[in-house]
Parts: sequence; C-alpha cells; structure tokens
Amino acid sequence: MLNLILNFVNACRASDLRVSTAEVIDCARHLEMVDVLDEAQFRSALRANFAKSRREQTEFDRLYGLFFHDMRPDVELDADCDPENTDKADMRHTIGQMRQEAGDDEITQAIMDFLAGDPIPYLRQIHRLETQTEESSQALKSNLSQLSSRLEVMLRINRTRNRLLQLMPDPISGGAPGRNRGMAGLLMERLETANRMLTQETRPNNDALKQVNAYEKKTLGIGERPFSNLTETEIIKMRSVIDQLVRKMKDIMSRRYAVRNRGALDVKKTLRAAQRYQGVPIEIVFRQRPLRKTRVVTLCDVSGSVWSAARFMLNMIYSMQDCFSDVKSFAFVAGPTNITDIFEKHDVNQAIEKVITDADINFNTHTDYGEMLTQFHRDHLNLLTQKTTLIIVGDARTNYQNPCEHLLDDMRARCRRVIWLNPEPEQFWGTGDSEMNTYKAYCHEVRPCRNLNQLANFIEDIVF
Amino acid sequence: MPGPHTGFTSVEDVQKKLESVDYIPSREIATVVFLAAATQKPILVEGPAGAGKTELARAISRCLNLRKIRLQCYEGLDEAKSLYEWEYAKQLLYTQMIKEKINQLIATADTIAEAVEKIAQQENAFFSERFLLARPLLQAITSDEQVVLLIDEIDKSDPEFEAFLLELLSDFQVSIPELGIWKAKHIPIVVLTSNNYRDISDALKRRCIHLYIDYPKKDLEKRIVKLKIPNIEERLADQLVNAIGNIRSLDLKKRPCISETIDWAKALMVLQINDLSPQALSDTLNVICKYQADTVMVRESMDKVLK
Repeated sequence: MLNLILNFVNACRASDLRVSTAEVIDCARHLEMVDVLDEAQFRSALRANFAKSRREQTEFDRLYGLFFHDMRPDVELDADCDPENTDKADMRHTIGQMRQEAGDDEITQAIMDFLAGDPIPYLRQIHRLETQTEESSQALKSNLSQLSSRLEVMLRINRTRNRLLQLMPDPISGGAPGRNRGMAGLLMERLETANRMLTQETRPNNDALKQVNAYEKKTLGIGERPFSNLTETEIIKMRSVIDQLVRKMKDIMSRRYAVRNRGALDVKKTLRAAQRYQGVPIEIVFRQRPLRKTRVVTLCDVSGSVWSAARFMLNMIYSMQDCFSDVKSFAFVAGPTNITDIFEKHDVNQAIEKVITDADINFNTHTDYGEMLTQFHRDHLNLLTQKTTLIIVGDARTNYQNPCEHLLDDMRARCRRVIWLNPEPEQFWGTGDSEMNTYKAYCHEVRPCRNLNQLANFIEDIVF
Repeated sequence: MPGPHTGFTSVEDVQKKLESVDYIPSREIATVVFLAAATQKPILVEGPAGAGKTELARAISRCLNLRKIRLQCYEGLDEAKSLYEWEYAKQLLYTQMIKEKINQLIATADTIAEAVEKIAQQENAFFSERFLLARPLLQAITSDEQVVLLIDEIDKSDPEFEAFLLELLSDFQVSIPELGIWKAKHIPIVVLTSNNYRDISDALKRRCIHLYIDYPKKDLEKRIVKLKIPNIEERLADQLVNAIGNIRSLDLKKRPCISETIDWAKALMVLQINDLSPQALSDTLNVICKYQADTVMVRESMDKVLK
C-alpha cells in the first residue's frame, strides 16, 4: 500500500505537483483511518493531502485517473508475477525486446516505461514539453519547436504501436487465440492513454477567477464608445473626463490619508506622552491606521493592434503612479521597457508622447507575449512580492508564438493578484491568435476594458 | 486510530452527526472532517461565496457541543487584535489604587536602586494573566475545554499574519515574551476558510488538509431545502432547485448561494405560491439577486431559467 502511494507521489512530482514528505506522512496516517476499499474515501484522503488548492485539483484528478484507473497498478508488469502466467512473461519479453531496439532514445524508453506500468518518466517528458521555451529567440521566432517536439513523441508512439502489432500476434485475427488478447489489449490501451495525454492540454481549474463583465453605465454616449472608434474631438473630450476620474481617485486617496489619524486611543503612547506632565494625559495620541501599501506593477501592450486603447491605458497608468506610492510601469511590444522614470519626470501628455518616441521600445517587431514574459521573468522578477498587484494590459494576441503561460503561473505564485485588462470585447477572446483563454487560467481577475465606463469601474474597484 | 479527544468515530458517524444538526455533508466533506478531527489537523476550506464554508464550522461545533470561537480576517489584522494585548488602562488603574501599598513597600529602601529592585520583584503581579486581554486565538488555546476555532477569510489577511499563524497551527502554542510559551490545553478543531482572493502560501497549505466545497448537486440541495422547510411541496422544491441551478450558470455579479435558495423558498411559502411561474419568479427575484444588473439579466433569460 505504502509503495503504491509513494509511486503515485512520484508521478505527482513528475508533473510538477508539489507534494512534501510531511504531506505523504499525513496521508499514510489518514489512510489507516479510512476504509480504503471505499473509493470515495480513499480519493478524498489523497486529494485533501496532495492537492492543496482548487487550482491543483484538476491536475490531481487527471493524475489520479491515470494512475489508479488507466494504468491499473494491480496488473503491474514488473511485479513478481506468477510463472504460470505466461502472458506477463511474454509481455515483459516483448517490452524488453523493444527496449533494446530503441537503444538510448530517451523518449522511447519513457514510452516503454509507461507501457510497463511506470508513468513517471513519461510524465516528466510531457512536463518538459509544456514548459519548454524558445532557445533561438534571436532568429526566426515561432511556436514550432514545441509543436515539433510533441510531434516527435507522437511519431515514436506510432512506431511503437506498429512494432507491437508485429511482435504480438493480432488478437483479433487469431494467432494464439485468447492467450495474448488481454495483455495486448492492455498495452494498446496504455499506448492510447499516452497518446491522449500528449494531445490534451492541461490548464489549472481557475473557477475562483473574478471575471467582470457587467458594469455600471455611468456616462452614456462617450462612456460607451470603444476607444478605437473615437474621433479627434471626442479624444479631447475623453481626456477631460479621464482628468475628472483621476481627480476623484486622488480625492479618495487623500481622504484616506486624512482619516488615518482617527483610530482608537493609543494607551501606550498616551501614557508615554503623559510622563512629561507628571502623569496627566494632556496629549492624547490615537492609533494610526496604517495606510495600505499597495505595490503595483503594470505591463502595458503598446503595439499597433491595441494602440488606440493603449493611449488611454497609459493615461490611467500615469495617474495610478500619482496615487500609489510604489508603481512600476513597463511598456512592451516584444520585450518590456521600464517607463516608470518617464512617467515620474514629465507631465501626462508629454510623458505619453515620450513613451512613443523616446523610450527604448522596438515598435517594428511583432507583439510577442511569450518573449515579454520571458524577459520580465528573467530581469524583473524581484519586483513581484506578496504585496504586489500585477496589472497586464493587452489583447493577448501573440502572433501564433509560444505564449509561455507557465511563466505567468510562476509570476502569479509570487504576487498578490494578477489582473488582466483586455481592450477587446469578450467574444473575440480566444479567436485567431488570441491566447486570452490560455492566460486567463493564470489570472485572479480578467476584464474587458474597451471604453471609459469599464475603465472607470476598474479604477473604482482597485482604489476602494 | 482516533485520538482520545475527537468526537467522531468514523466517516459515517461524522455524516450522521452533521445531519443531526441540519447540515448535510457530501461524502468528501465527511471524510475530510473526520480525518482532520482524528489527526488534529486544521482544515483549509475553499469554495465560492455562500457554499457553506462558515456553516461547516458552525455545524461541527454544534454537533459536538463545543464552543465556537471565530476570528474574522481583514487587511491590517495583527497580533494585538487576534492573539492578545496588555490592558494598559487596567494596569494603570491598579497602580493608582495600590499606590500606598507600593509606597509602603519601598519605604524601607535606602537607595533608589534598592527601591527599583523591590518593585521589580513585584513585576509578576502586573504582567500576569489578569491584565492580559485574550483575543480569539489565545482564547482558543487557553480554553478549558476543546473548542472549534474558525479563522474566516484568511485570504483577506496580510501575508505577515499568515506567517504568524504558522507557529500556532503546527505546534498549537503561542509565545508571550513576558509569560513564556503557552501550550494549548486542548487542541482545537481549526477551520480556515478562503475565497481565493489571493493564493495562500505553501507553508500554510502544508499544515492543513484541503477541502473544496462547491455548490451542492441538485438532489443534495433539494434535501437541504426540504430539511429547512419541511412542509414545502415536492414539485415546488424541484422547480426551485432547478431554477437556482440555472441562475447560477448565468454570468452574474453575485451568484445566489444556498442560504438564498432557502430564503427564496421561504418567501414563496409565505406568498403561498405553489407553482413557479415566470410571474412568480419575477416578483420574488430580489430575494435571490442582490444587484440590479443581475435582476435584469435573470429577467431577460427567464425561459432558460425555468426550463
């Protein structure tokens, strides 16, 4: 029993589900207490110990299904089997033979292990595939290397299937009737499972995601017009509305400063102050309400496809930098560029102008979110702490390049919240080269943000 | 095997006891509660708002007849509000009242140093339990009988507070500098709830066992409704639960939770509505929907809801 659990834990670890030794010990203790023959109880005990959040549960369920249902560890081939049961001996012989043929090809060996009932090397291969990043990012960039390595694994599976059919007499057309049928079937089933795992994409279950679609329609007319459809005069009008919004935001923030000194009586400090007046509390000290120290990091897409919206987003980011004490702003097309300084030194319109003209942003390349995440992950990861809110503004259109979503997952683990604002309406998410649905699984909150009302709603939410 | 302090003997027993206090648990809930109680581990409960996370803690305390101590987390919650605080005002008042006694005490002292020494000997009188204001966490630790400690919405608290909880949840002890380390007399049953506003740290997760409570399946919800409102008609209960399920699948700002289902059922009973018609739904909608935009959306998709 314990070996079985340990094998399962290894399988979990191979697909990056973190399980600590302490959790394994707890689980072993728990299994002694429940009726392990009742699958609901067995599964609950395992799940409660190994998947410690809703996000991990999907991965756990997948592995659980694979390990306890698809692989059926009870028909383990490597286990000491009955010498009379020639099926198993045959089987091991067949697998051994194929193993030799494969030589030291890592992937085929992993497939062989999988056939023999040990899914761990194969899981590791798949995990490697999923978190693969482009190596040659300087030259021609594409999502191909990931796809082609997937294809390679698939080809090997096919080769194995053909070889298996050669080695084993076809179970249906006779050969050795009945004898090899069960085992051949099992091997084929396992190959199918391996194939399915390869083609299935796994995404964490993110149903705690806050997705805001409804919003208050405050100003009709201009408030409802998409940023991209504004005329010249409307843009000027819009600016003044945004100015109002910013003023409101500052008001709220300054009010927060004002009430900070209106907390409860601070006895400790009052007494200390009273010492100066022979114990008469002349100065009364109130407890200060600590200000919320929000740290914000913004990543704003300024490429052509979102340009019309980006101007307003930059405007908003500028005013956020004014209101919160610690805001770091980046703009990107392919790689992120720090624009915090520009925003600090200049006036709004001037700053936005400067971002477009002076900042070191290469506008001549294609938008590449994967590249942006890779560079941010490499150079600026220290900016993300447990108190940081990460706001990403962009349409998630990656030009069919590798989205590198596992990096976003890693970034999520480091910060308080990840919010994605998308200037496209929701019905276009996931169409064409939009990877919004991929990224969505790693955000705490996503919202379409394409007109003033939606922007105003967002600002109110974040300030309060 | 189950420790001496646990009130549950088996998973079935948990199920039975929780049902006896009007909480109908799924098999998974019962298993996790049993394991947590038997191995004295905190339970970390996640799930959508209103699925019965807090209610679970309340039900455990009721069915085992234990006192429930609740700590509501929020941004800025610190040790002084969650663990303990010295009662300065009381200490001050006492020093004023026993001034004479103190004067007597130091009357025989020749030097100031000697006087200080004499007062220092009495320090224990001032830093004792008498002047300690116990907040929920300390109350749970020092209670003379086992309690159920509910730490609600842990995701709303700061990361610092989460780190501070670690000592408490793994060793069930707290250190108070003036008094030393206090160990729990009885290990409380701890339930932490989270709405997933932010992710909980791995260290805290490791110390808990995890439970996800979703909205109940239709037949379970129907049982809950019938349990709370025994004289509801079978057909109406069916319609009600069905409609709620459909409403939850809409893209609402706030999805109706179990307590709202029950409120709604009660409202329908009071109005003596025995058949859920579009008119009846439209009239009672404000019991279920708490936002104007949601009400509008449900009205618009009326035929989908009543399907």
